[in-house]
Amino acid sequence: MKTWLMLISITVLGISACSTGDREPSPPPATKTAEPTDVIDEELMVSLAQAKNFHRKAKVYMSDGNLAAATASVRQILSLRFPKGAPEADDVRLDARALLAKLLVSQNQLEEAMRTVDEGLAQNTRESFFVANLYTVQGEIHEARAAVAEGEGEPGKAKVAEERRAAIASYDRSIQINEKLQKQLVDEK
Amino acid sequence: MPSNDDDFLTAGIPEPDAEATPSERMHARTFADIIDKTLTNKTPAAMSADDRALVEVATVIRASHGQMELAPAKQRSIVEDALRQAIGGAAANTSGAVTPIGKARSKRWVPWAMTAMTTTIAAAAVLVLWLRAPRTQYIDKPEVAKLPETWRSRPVDPLIGPIARESAGDASSRIDYIFADRLDGYRDRRLSGRARGGKP
Repeated sequence: MKTWLMLISITVLGISACSTGDREPSPPPATKTAEPTDVIDEELMVSLAQAKNFHRKAKVYMSDGNLAAATASVRQILSLRFPKGAPEADDVRLDARALLAKLLVSQNQLEEAMRTVDEGLAQNTRESFFVANLYTVQGEIHEARAAVAEGEGEPGKAKVAEERRAAIASYDRSIQINEKLQKQLVDEK
Repeated sequence: MPSNDDDFLTAGIPEPDAEATPSERMHARTFADIIDKTLTNKTPAAMSADDRALVEVATVIRASHGQMELAPAKQRSIVEDALRQAIGGAAANTSGAVTPIGKARSKRWVPWAMTAMTTTIAAAAVLVLWLRAPRTQYIDKPEVAKLPETWRSRPVDPLIGPIARESAGDASSRIDYIFADRLDGYRDRRLSGRARGGKP
C-alpha cells in the first residue's frame, strides 16, 4: 500500500512538473509602448500654450511701446519646462531667443543681444530653420554694431569692416542651413 | 504426621501405600476435570491459586513430552505466514486465509518493478524540469510601437519652413501655428484612443 501511495505521489509530481513546463514563461516585452516624449501629451501642450501666452503678452507690450516688459515676457519663455527630449522645445526656445535679441537690439543692448544669440547657438543640438533664423538675427546684430562703430568716425573704421564681415558670415551660414534643410525636405517628399 | 486434606500442598507427604482419603479422591477428580478442560482449550476462568499453579506445571510437563500438537490447518497457516513475511509480504494472521507459496513467490518482482518505475518517473520529471527551464531572452532594442506621425512630438521645421528675414522676429505668429498643429495631433490621439476603448 505504501509503495502504491509513493508511486501515485511521484506520478502526480512528475505530471505537475510537466504541466508547469507547458506554461511558457512570459517573454519580456518585445514592443515597448511609446515613451511620453514620443507623443504629444498634456505636458507638451501646456508648455506650448504657455509659450504662446508669453508671446501674446509680449506682443501687447510691444504694441504699447513697453519694450522692457515685452523683453521680460519673452525671457520667461526660455525658462519654460518642456517634456524631456521634445524637439518642439528647442525650436520654440530658439525662436524666442531670436525675438528677444531683436527686442534688445531695438533697445540698443547689442552686447546682451549678441550674448542671447550666442547662448542659443551654443545650446543647439541640430540644424533647423530656427537656427538659420538665429544666424540671421546674429547678422543683424553685427550690422547694428557696424553702424555704431561707423558713428565713431575714423577710429571705428576697422571695427565697421570687421562687423560687416561677421554679418556677411552669419547671413551666409543662415542661407547655407536653409538650403540644406530645404533640400532635405524636398528629398523626403 | 498430621494430615491436612484441605492444604495438601503444604501437608505432610503420605505413605506410599497409604489409602487415599475421600477428600483426596474428590480433589483428584476435580483437578482431573480441570486438566481435561485445559486440554480442550476450555480452561475454567475461576480456580484456586493452587490449582492454577498445578495446571501450569501439568501444561509444561505435557509440552516437554511433545504431546501438544496444533491442528493441521493452524500449523499450515503459521508456516505460510512465516514464509510470507520472509519474502516481504504482510502477515495474514487476521484473515486466516492462506496464500499458496508458489503464488507468493510469483509476486516477488512487484516491489522491484515499483521501485524502478518510480525512479524512472522521478528522473523524467527532473529531466523535464531541467530541459524546459525558461530561457532568458535579451532584447537589445525593443521596437517602439508605431504611431501616426501627427501624434508624435517632432521638430517643427517642416511645418514652419524657411523663415524670411523680415519675419525673423515674428515668433508670435509661428508659435500660434505650432500650437494649433500640435493641438490637432493631440486631440486626434486622444479621440482615437477612446474610440478604440484603450487608454489614450
